[in-house]
Amino acid sequence: MTEHKIETSRERQNRHKAMEAASVLEKIKHNFKEPPRAMSYFYDLYERVNCKHESLHVDKAKVGTMCIQVPSEIIYALDAVPLRLCNGFYTDDEIGSDLLPSKSCPLVKATVGQFASNNFSDKPDVIISPTTCDQKAKSGAIIEGMGFSVYDMEFPRTKESHESREYWRRSVRKFTKDLSIDLNKKLTKKSLKESIKKVGYAQHLYHKLNILRKNTASPILGKDMFLVTNAFFFDKIDNWIDAMENLVQECEQRVETQVNAASKMSPRIVYTGSPPIFPNLKIPLLIEQSDAIIVADETCSSNRMFNDMISVDEWFVNDMIDSIADRYLKGCTCPIFTKNSDRKRRIIDLVRDYKADGVIYQAFAGCQVYEMEQRSVLEAMQKAQIPILYLESDYSPSQSGQLTTRIEAFVESLKNRKRRG
Amino acid sequence: MKRIRDFINRADIRRFRFWLQLFFFVLFIYGGYFAINLGNSIPVFSCGYDRQVGGMCYFLPLQHQLARPLDVLFSAASISVLIGFITFLLWFVVFNKAWCGYACPLGTMQDWLTGLRKKMGIRYSTYTQPQFDKLKKIKYIMLALVILAPMGVGMGILGGEWRTAFCEICPGRMITPLFVGDVSQWSLDFSTKTAMILTTLGLIFTGLFVIGSFVKKRFFCFFCPMSAMHYIFSDAALLKLKKDGDKCTKCGDCYNVCDMQIKDIADDVKSTNILRDDCILCMKCVAACPEDDALHVDILNMKLFSSTKGGFAKRMQMDKLEKKDD
Repeated sequence: MTEHKIETSRERQNRHKAMEAASVLEKIKHNFKEPPRAMSYFYDLYERVNCKHESLHVDKAKVGTMCIQVPSEIIYALDAVPLRLCNGFYTDDEIGSDLLPSKSCPLVKATVGQFASNNFSDKPDVIISPTTCDQKAKSGAIIEGMGFSVYDMEFPRTKESHESREYWRRSVRKFTKDLSIDLNKKLTKKSLKESIKKVGYAQHLYHKLNILRKNTASPILGKDMFLVTNAFFFDKIDNWIDAMENLVQECEQRVETQVNAASKMSPRIVYTGSPPIFPNLKIPLLIEQSDAIIVADETCSSNRMFNDMISVDEWFVNDMIDSIADRYLKGCTCPIFTKNSDRKRRIIDLVRDYKADGVIYQAFAGCQVYEMEQRSVLEAMQKAQIPILYLESDYSPSQSGQLTTRIEAFVESLKNRKRRG
Repeated sequence: MKRIRDFINRADIRRFRFWLQLFFFVLFIYGGYFAINLGNSIPVFSCGYDRQVGGMCYFLPLQHQLARPLDVLFSAASISVLIGFITFLLWFVVFNKAWCGYACPLGTMQDWLTGLRKKMGIRYSTYTQPQFDKLKKIKYIMLALVILAPMGVGMGILGGEWRTAFCEICPGRMITPLFVGDVSQWSLDFSTKTAMILTTLGLIFTGLFVIGSFVKKRFFCFFCPMSAMHYIFSDAALLKLKKDGDKCTKCGDCYNVCDMQIKDIADDVKSTNILRDDCILCMKCVAACPEDDALHVDILNMKLFSSTKGGFAKRMQMDKLEKKDD
């Protein structure tokens, strides 16, 4: 007699998430021109983690981070692993919907949803929640209410003043001290210097790959770039570096032999706005399925995570920590800050530098800060005569029809512009 | 051409600077031994009280010249004053404030004290922004002293001991001759009340100079009247520190390494000429900038040294990873 087993809710969630992940991976792998061979590492990685729910960091202390402002260098230096918890699963978004106001950001809902279901392949031992946007700051407390250990890391909402710099530096120093006590591990000059250099090297590899996209024939599509950068959220850094070295090498060869990941007439897009996080690569996929190519981005799940690098004048622990603090505050173009002139300048510079034909600005419905910045960015682009499309989307799989129409129309108009010269 | 440029942009600027500073130090402090004399209109603090000086700080002759009676000062007899000034300008316009960062013996001494502190594992101190904004004005007061005190003597308002008032309080007067074994400047002048006060101040400033530049990078340069004098003419200089604000992400890496704590270097995205009055043109900011061409040093509008991603990674040792087996 066959044994009947009733699926637990955890198993059901995992099945749904695996289905979500698998269907997106399928599209990424097969619906486009042949990707670089070195991408297979990343495809496998997502399959292992998101479809088979494999744990990657069994033997290490795991520090969950709720935003990019938590310095990974310090976490690595304390012999722990940073895990970025920003979540892209619709399954988790639905769970979180019951706990948060209906008009909340899907990313926050999905993150809270994952905690509510307490379903992790690598469960964080402590969660660091920087006080960035309102929704993230408040959800830290909600997560704590579920019984997780949450550390609020104070983050200023302006970044120009001397006071905000000092405030954030103090906040990072305090974080370092508290985490060191929590993990019972001493921070040494050597370990911090090593981790700064290691993360710096990872960034250096990212830049090496990224600048190849400036070529008229870009060797890699945006959807693959997002996978690569997203993997930095949770992968073992050494493995990521190895895979990245291979990918850079292969893409350099592709540039030499002029392999074009898109087609000759494909409009070149700069992507900005709410972060695409696997498996919510809906918009990047729609863009590239419409025969455009994302050549650069200004999002916190990709470029913003890698762009600014740490410089240290004197390698003492305190100086290193201050330098680290500055890197995470000063160059950041997150819309939570009062002013956004840096972000506008950044987008325009990317358009010029990567010879883009247009910008696509996507905001999650419910991500108030991105929604609020929309008008001013649109104005700035108009002034600079850069075509821009603004989209609002969420994690639901149902809405793609309308989005496809708008994206296709935009891409078509860019192609016409290109043809006219 | 491209390869030369790549080579320069990836250069280890610290080592280059160290040797160049040493070269100029020997040239200015010990030049006399090699019968080198570059004149007495040199735009750095290579002190004239050093008997072997290889080229004298312009302020010592300037003060003597300005102390002439007014009718002589503004007559044809003072054509030599004008020539001295023009020579000073000619020296200056070529290298701009790089004189401070690369050639000034007093600046070099401060960098050596910094090096000593680093070796001892002691962290540097900084000013807070409000302190900085107040302190940086002192150098203009010093410059006023350099110019007005001798003129006061010439007009008969001040006594003769005010003639070289600035030199009396300048730490260079006491420290520089030490390098050629001359300790004669280490005394207080009790001849008049003013002389006593000035030489006492000199002793205090010398002490402050040593302690200050040990704890704070380039401590003295904030107060240096030569730096103020440079700034007045720096727009005419051939060597320029330029910034392309569009490429700047305001990450603050340049500000972080700046010995002079110049905030504009990171925050000003509008000025193309980013040289500020405190700047010593050491080019550390350019070396620490991770954005391609955001900061560059130009000579006659040609890029001499530019910030590059590759150069940054190399200098920060982030371009490769020492792999460990574990």
